[in-house]
Formats: sequence, structure tokens, C-alpha cells
Amino acid sequence: MLVTARLRPPDRTVEVADVRRVVDLLGRLDVLPGAVLVIRDGALLTSQDELRDGDRVEVRFAISGGS
Amino acid sequence: MAMRCKRCRGAAVIEVRRHNAAFCRDCFFHYVGQQVTRAIAKHRMLAPADRVLVAVSGGKDSLALWDLLLGLGYQTDGLYLSLGIGAYSERSKRVCEEFAAARGATLVARDLAAEHGYTIPEAARRGGRSSCGVCGLSKRYVFNRAALDGGYDVVATGHNLDDEAAVLFANTLRWDTAAMARQFPVLEATRPGLVKKVKPLYRLAERETAAYCILKGIDYVVEECPLVGGNTQMRHKETLNRMEEQSPGTKHSFLFGYLERAAELLRVADVAELAECSRCGMTTQAPDDPAEAPVCAFCRSKARLVKSLPVVEGSGEPQGGAPVDHFEVTAG
Repeated sequence: MLVTARLRPPDRTVEVADVRRVVDLLGRLDVLPGAVLVIRDGALLTSQDELRDGDRVEVRFAISGGS
Repeated sequence: MAMRCKRCRGAAVIEVRRHNAAFCRDCFFHYVGQQVTRAIAKHRMLAPADRVLVAVSGGKDSLALWDLLLGLGYQTDGLYLSLGIGAYSERSKRVCEEFAAARGATLVARDLAAEHGYTIPEAARRGGRSSCGVCGLSKRYVFNRAALDGGYDVVATGHNLDDEAAVLFANTLRWDTAAMARQFPVLEATRPGLVKKVKPLYRLAERETAAYCILKGIDYVVEECPLVGGNTQMRHKETLNRMEEQSPGTKHSFLFGYLERAAELLRVADVAELAECSRCGMTTQAPDDPAEAPVCAFCRSKARLVKSLPVVEGSGEPQGGAPVDHFEVTAG
């Protein structure tokens, strides 16, 4: 079970093994679920959605610093 | 188990933990529209006949705002200010232009270097303020000036719940009561030369504006401004997000509690005397010494910057100034 996660911004890609759900992935990445959106094939995933072996997801940070 | 939509029980695509809710795509759009409509109605932000200038940066918040206001039928034009931040500014402008073209909407473009003789990177290298500080000051001036020039009734900005909570947090840490007194979802045009400012997204978290863009297929600039890394507002947002993770609703309670119970007290106490800037004619805070000529923060900053820069052809002498800080100071 291997999931490829692209984190941006800035932009880096990591592979994470043995994660069943989105919340597990975010925990392994040490990312707060409330600060990101997780996207697979253009669709948003919730924290409880299941991941599949070979999934490629984007973990998009939704925090902006300027206003 | 997959999450279900709170409204229709279909498959959810996003959770909103502070409301103990999750929504499917369509119900999320309903929720977002409801929050914006409620903000506009509660604070009488916009009237149907108003001409609204939406300040757009190419980011998720401002493009979501423009899309929502267009969808609600308001008469809106976009305003893009080029800050001269290399490829980042070029991409931002292109995204705004494409957004406007796809909707048959009008985008007003202004350029800081062409109109005022400096870019934000130059200001960051040479000025007395942080890059975020001078950027915020410049934007507030140009937004107000552009609205006056174009005869707009209102300037709308994409400040969201996270922005507002982070600014309130920063101001509270400093007990900057004057800045707190000006932090409100709507600021009326209390003098000639000041245009009404509104923040219709203040009830929505920035994660929700990003989700709105993704679900709507709005192409926005995901990359962060290269000058913003590690700024104070980002650090404050991270702190608040950690608290929110432990206790959902913390940011909402902090901001809405302030707006409902404390903002009015501070506004009454904010008795700053206003005057006309002696250089640009815009409204600014009167100096403590009545013998001193009032000069607004933008004119002071610009004079300092332009003096330290190589001459830019056609930029001339400082020719404008900021009104009194009409929005909160951006922490930088």
C-alpha cells in the first residue's frame, strides 16, 4: 500500500506507505487537516475517505499570508 | 465510513468542523452562498444599484468573492494591482484576466511601478516597512483611489474568517485598540475621499474559499507570494489553526465574539481626528501638533522609497497618498 502525495505550496512530492484513510495520511505528513484540502483526480476528499494502493493525491495548503 | 452531507445525506466532499457539518458539492455551494448573503444583509454591505469594485489578486479568496458577487447579480468590476513581483505578478494578472474574460466581466488593471515609481520587491529592499507592510499600505491607497477615479460606490475585498481572526489576534497581542476599532466587516465612507469598504467573506474560512474555487473549477494562483514566507500573519494563522484543531470553532468564537461584544465599544473610543493630507489631499489622521502639516502614511512611505530608488522614466514626483488606514494594518 503506497500513496504518492504532492504537497503545495511550495511543491514537493513524497511517498507514504500503509495509510488507510486521508486522516492517516495527514497524520503521517504532520499536517493539520483544517489547513489543507486533499484532492484525488480533481475531486475533494474528506478526512474519512479511504485511500487505495497507488493513489496519487494533492495535499493543497489553503493558508495565505497576505491580505 | 464515508461522511454524509448534513443537508441531503449524499456523499460529502468537505467537512466544516466548526459547524459540526459536512457537505456535498451542491449543498456546499448553498452553504457558501448563504454565508455571503447573510454577511451582506447583516452589515448592509451592498445595495442592488451599487457599483462594486472587487479587489482581485488572482488568489482563491478574491476570485471566489468576485464569482459569488457576480452570481448574486451585483454590478461588479475587478481591480488588479500589479505589484512588480516578477513571474508571480505576471501569473496573477493572467489568471485575473482569464477569469474576467471567461465571464465577460471588466478588469481594471493598475500598476504600482508605472503609477508610483516603485515595486514591492524594491520597497522590501529599501523601505522602512516590511514588504507585507508596504504592500498593504499601497493596496489600500490604490483600491481607494481607483474606486474614486472610477465612480464606484464600494470596494469589496476577499478577507476571510482566518484573515480577520489573525489580524485581531495580532492587534490584541499588541493591544492596538486603534487598529482594532477599525476592524469591522464594513467601513462606511465617512468623509469625501473615502470609499465604503466591505468584506463579504468574513464568515467563511479560507479552506472553504479554496474548496469553493476547486469545486467551481476556478483557476487560482496556488503558489504563495515569494515575499510572504514566514511573515507574522502566517505564524499567527498557524497558531490559531493548532488551537482550532483541538477545539473547532475557536477562530469563529474569537472573531464573532469580538464583533458582537467588543467592537462597538472600541469604535466609540476611537476618536482619532481626521485631516486632509497636505500632499495628496486624501483623508488621514491629524498630527498631534496642530502646527504640523498632515502627511498620510502612503505619502511618507512613498517619498522615502522613491528618494532611494533610481529614477523611473515617467514616474515623476510623488503624486498621491493613502487615505487614513481604512482597513487593518497587515502584520508583516
